[in-house]
Amino acid sequence: MSKELIRLVNCSMAFDGEQVLDHIDLYINDSEFLTLLGPSGCGKTTTLRIIGGFLTPLEGEVLFDGVRINDIPPHLRQVNTVFQRYALFPHLNVFENVAFGLRLGRKVEGQKKKERIPEEEIRERVMEMLEVVSLKGFENRRITELSGGQQQRVAIARALVNRPKVLLLDEPLGALDLRLRKDMQSELKRIQQQMEITFIYVTHDQEEALAMSDTIVVMDQGRIQQIGTPEDIYNEPKNAFVADFIGESNILDGVMHEDFVVEFFNRKFKCLDKGFAPMEPVDVVIRPEDVDIVPPESGQLRGTVTSVTFKGVHYDTIVDFKGFKWLIQTTDFHDVGETIGIVLNPDDIHIMHKSQYSGLFGDYSSYSEEYDEIGDVAKLDEEEGAQDE
Amino acid sequence: MNKRGLFAVPYVIWMGLFVVAPILIMLVYAFSTAGGGFTLDNFLGMGDYLSVFGRSFYLALIATLVCLLIGYPMSYWMAREGARFQKVAMLLIMLPMWMNFLLRTYSWMSILENNGLINQFFRAIGLLDALGVDHIQMIRTPGAVVLGMVYNYLPFMILPIYSVIVKLDRSLLEAAADLGASAGQVFRKVILPLSLPGVVSGVTMVFVPSVSTFAISRLLGGGTQMMLGDLIEQQFLGGAYDPQLGAAISMVMMAIVVVCMTVMNHFGEGEEQAVML
Amino acid sequence: MKRQERLGSRLLIGLVFLFLYAPIVFLIVFSFNAGDSSAVWRGFSLHWYAELFQNRLIMESVYTTLLVSILATIISTIAGTFAAIGLYSLGRRKRDALLAVNNIPMMNADIVTGVSLCLFFVAFFQGWGGFAKWFNGVQSLVELPTRLHLGFTTMLLAHIAFNIPYVILNVAPKLRQMDRNLIDAAQDLGCTWMQAFWKVVVPEIKPGIVSGALIAFTMSIDDFVISYFTAGSSTSTLAMTIYGMTKRRITPEINAVSTLLFLSVLVLLLANNIREARLERRRELGAAPRRRPVPALLQNKWFHRGAAAVAACALAAVILFLHDATASRPVVNVCSWGEYIDTDLIDQFEEETGIRVNYQTVDSNETLYSLLKSGGADYDVIVPSDYMIALLIAEDMLEPLDYQKIPNFAKIGDRFKYLSYDPDNLYTVPYTWGTLGIIYNTAMVEKEIASWRDIYSDDYAGQVLLINNSRDALGEALLCLGYSVNTTDEGEIRAAYELLADATRRGVFQGKVMDEVFQTMEGGNAAIATYYAGDYLTMLENNEDLAFVIPEEGSNWFVDAMCVLKDAPHYEEAHQWIDFMASTEASLANMDFIWYASPNEEALAAYPAYYEELYEEPLDQELYEIMATPPEVLERCEVYEYLPPETRTLYNDLWIKLGI
Repeated sequence: MSKELIRLVNCSMAFDGEQVLDHIDLYINDSEFLTLLGPSGCGKTTTLRIIGGFLTPLEGEVLFDGVRINDIPPHLRQVNTVFQRYALFPHLNVFENVAFGLRLGRKVEGQKKKERIPEEEIRERVMEMLEVVSLKGFENRRITELSGGQQQRVAIARALVNRPKVLLLDEPLGALDLRLRKDMQSELKRIQQQMEITFIYVTHDQEEALAMSDTIVVMDQGRIQQIGTPEDIYNEPKNAFVADFIGESNILDGVMHEDFVVEFFNRKFKCLDKGFAPMEPVDVVIRPEDVDIVPPESGQLRGTVTSVTFKGVHYDTIVDFKGFKWLIQTTDFHDVGETIGIVLNPDDIHIMHKSQYSGLFGDYSSYSEEYDEIGDVAKLDEEEGAQDE
Repeated sequence: MNKRGLFAVPYVIWMGLFVVAPILIMLVYAFSTAGGGFTLDNFLGMGDYLSVFGRSFYLALIATLVCLLIGYPMSYWMAREGARFQKVAMLLIMLPMWMNFLLRTYSWMSILENNGLINQFFRAIGLLDALGVDHIQMIRTPGAVVLGMVYNYLPFMILPIYSVIVKLDRSLLEAAADLGASAGQVFRKVILPLSLPGVVSGVTMVFVPSVSTFAISRLLGGGTQMMLGDLIEQQFLGGAYDPQLGAAISMVMMAIVVVCMTVMNHFGEGEEQAVML
Repeated sequence: MKRQERLGSRLLIGLVFLFLYAPIVFLIVFSFNAGDSSAVWRGFSLHWYAELFQNRLIMESVYTTLLVSILATIISTIAGTFAAIGLYSLGRRKRDALLAVNNIPMMNADIVTGVSLCLFFVAFFQGWGGFAKWFNGVQSLVELPTRLHLGFTTMLLAHIAFNIPYVILNVAPKLRQMDRNLIDAAQDLGCTWMQAFWKVVVPEIKPGIVSGALIAFTMSIDDFVISYFTAGSSTSTLAMTIYGMTKRRITPEINAVSTLLFLSVLVLLLANNIREARLERRRELGAAPRRRPVPALLQNKWFHRGAAAVAACALAAVILFLHDATASRPVVNVCSWGEYIDTDLIDQFEEETGIRVNYQTVDSNETLYSLLKSGGADYDVIVPSDYMIALLIAEDMLEPLDYQKIPNFAKIGDRFKYLSYDPDNLYTVPYTWGTLGIIYNTAMVEKEIASWRDIYSDDYAGQVLLINNSRDALGEALLCLGYSVNTTDEGEIRAAYELLADATRRGVFQGKVMDEVFQTMEGGNAAIATYYAGDYLTMLENNEDLAFVIPEEGSNWFVDAMCVLKDAPHYEEAHQWIDFMASTEASLANMDFIWYASPNEEALAAYPAYYEELYEEPLDQELYEIMATPPEVLERCEVYEYLPPETRTLYNDLWIKLGI
């Protein structure tokens, strides 16, 4: 892995006495695509704004290339931001928006005054950047004449033209529709690889995070819940929150009898986890797509189907096991009221230590509400942005 | 036209009667003699009043400039205060407007008089004796007229500028800083151009009433500072009855105002968002 | 924001507010002044508040202001809202064109709007006069008034005209933001169009309507210029009253009324703010606003409509009643000069005859003439000076009097009858007479002033007040040069003009004043002025240092006489008024109040005794002779005579030229 570029040491932040960041430690490597993922109010935007220089942490340090930058204002940082709603200058056209940073001149070592960049170079760099974001030919358009996706690209070009070491992206795709979002995801990934710089990306959309990131930082309540590659995060969630937030999970109470043996529903299952204290209560995570449905008589557990929803590729089937409702994703259709059996393989069972989140997630009794929550996130996030001073 | 469009009909008639017709009648007056014949004399003879035109524009321009110099920073700083502060400040700015402006101007009369509050104060602290004068002449000077204009029309400058600045997307300012602009550059390159529509409507809202005032120049200028408004008033309700000439001067003033506004609006496109509150 | 910067910005904001509020605070403080000066504090008193409620002129103008503002706000809000809705359902092209026209009154200077509306009304009245005469001629069922005047109605129309654009401007953005499907949705759910309008559109655009109404009200309250040009002379808003007063003397009652207005606005705003804050707090606490149970009756929509109808009727009734109270009684409209009557006489006349007196003032003959010409006045009785009477007679603007109805005319001295301006004495009953002279402050002027030359000399540069009407100002200069005040020789008049222009260039004159002279001279704010003898005596009461002299070159002596205007609607009442004012009792009271000599010989002779009885001290003979100038002095003085049109035009042109 390449060298470390940014490090947050023990950073805390609060607004109006409300703790938003709770002693965060985080390092970010050069040229990596790092995603801050979490629900609204988790502190991800705050973290981003601290790196951007719009906020100064109340406690802790921000290091850039090993140098403390807490008190360096945004315009002197080698970091650029793509804002949530782009923040394009309405009084300038596409070209001038992109050229904005260049026209301010560049720093020369040892001199206080910035040096003017020649018009020719500005033109060259802007056009080059517009080409990178596939907006060639749009340079004289007014901002208001662009579609959301095009505005998005202008915002990216404007930030990148300054050749920052790090690009910060604050929910950049939030305002786009689904199709465009998918396109822009691969576009962003392509640009990041082409430019070979660090992207720090804030989102509440776990799918987006999984698809684009080298590293994902899952945050909640101002704390980092887990840092890891997308695969790590998905396959080995550290606690009930991560398990629930990344993908769908059934989370049950269990007891770790010994290494590789866990008990839940009064039954012992084989698993691949070890290192727990004997008889330690744990959270057990079972991904809905990992459950195999078998005839009732050959199942390890038996339950009754309470609802079925067709999802295209699979059916979301809710099955009642002794009052605990599981979500099972299966390609086979089982009608409501049918009794079915299931089989769990050892590698389908993930064991986690108990945490503050235990018991909060993973029951599908109120199935539809879980889905709704995700829809609300975007709206709440805007409020989070607004309260920042 | 659909059914709702019918609501517009009475208003169109109303506008025809009370907006268009009066201006047309004024136009007719401007080109007639007292006897009713056609003439251009009303316009040709206007050269005599060049100095009045000059004084009006000069004083109004100064007043507008002063309003801008006070009003812009005021609006800018107000917009950066907390919501509660802003609300109270806005109320305080609007409040005097519910007292008729003549009352406020009248108050200045007694403050600026030769034996008024300010001169009394200067006398009390011995400044007048030190200068060896009986009083400092303030009322009946061009300065007093400008003061009256600034005092009365300052809110008209603050309101539109403030309402534009307060609506500025904060993320634009952050974006500029992020792209390397220092505080000064953010102001010059983003805030200033974006608040231009507010400035334009503020400037017109101060300049137009200033250039045409007659009450302020009469009260604070004491008849020594004849302005366009006084000249027009003289022709209708004052000592020199000549409505034809008055109409002609009004027409010229209207034309100049229209030209000024067209030029101004050219600078601040998207003016609509900026107009009042 | 950094702390230092914040401190600096707050300091600026604070200073601006200080600037905005200092004059208002000053105004309020001096409303509690025991003295009648607006600059010198003489102790605390509520005296002026008591006076205020006695002052009919101010109270009526407050009432007029509020009435016109409220009516204009209501009407223009409703009309503007519908107009905005109408405009927004038109095509873009049409709408933009109409909005451009809509913007004209907002863009135009107030004075242009005011002048154009004034001309429009006058043109309409002329057209109407012809129509009404024809109409009354061809049928006898309905009698249309043939003479219309500027007044409350025209002012209200003007206010509505300049308010509607503001309402539209505020409602329009809300309409634009409104989802166009809302009305469809409401109709889809079973609303009629009207219901959809009331239940969906109105609530949706309500903020726009409210702010539109608020701005309309603010504009109306704050307006002076447009009212001034469209209200004529019979209606007066508070602003117009103040403007009229600034020309002579602003009484501290104005401070009192401003204080009351300001405080009531303040209270309203505070109440509203507290209410809002309370609502907000409740919202923050998460509690739904508690509702008191509402009786079923109050929820019935028919009850609502009924209540609204009753309220509307009540409002209409109040307005009509007030209108009635002022209109159905016999009225006489009188126009005179400022401080030119003992106001008790008005009350006395009203009591005796039951005729309501609508008493107005203007400040010069020239202004009066302009008002009459522009159709802004609906006076019955006017009191112009000699030369103006001659002009009005020449232009056939006066009605011959019926002297049978004015028995007191017999008491008028013969020397005041059959004068040059009315050689057959068909139109006039003299009201006062007097002289023009120099008033100077002996505390500021060391030597004794004896000649007109002194007012043009550099000795008192910047301390001299020039009289602000062409006839007197040029007349003084003519006298100074040894010419007649009635000369028609252009060379002589131009020479007089040059004398004035030269003095102006040298900065001799502090300003040009008419009735402003009272306050300025009394306050010691100028050393020398030229004005009328009677007014000098009034000033003397307030400043003992003032002296009066009729210069050696002679001066003007004038007669102001009561006349009735052509086609005056209250011909009978006008005669009663004239007779009343010519009576010996009224003349005595008036003389004592205004210090102008009466032409009533009986009163003139009786005045010293009257004075002694009233004040228990003998009348100073010197002062009496200033008021009733003795014949030997009068011999030095000339009466203004009628000037031919060419000379009048020359006067006007030179006068304007002097002003610029």
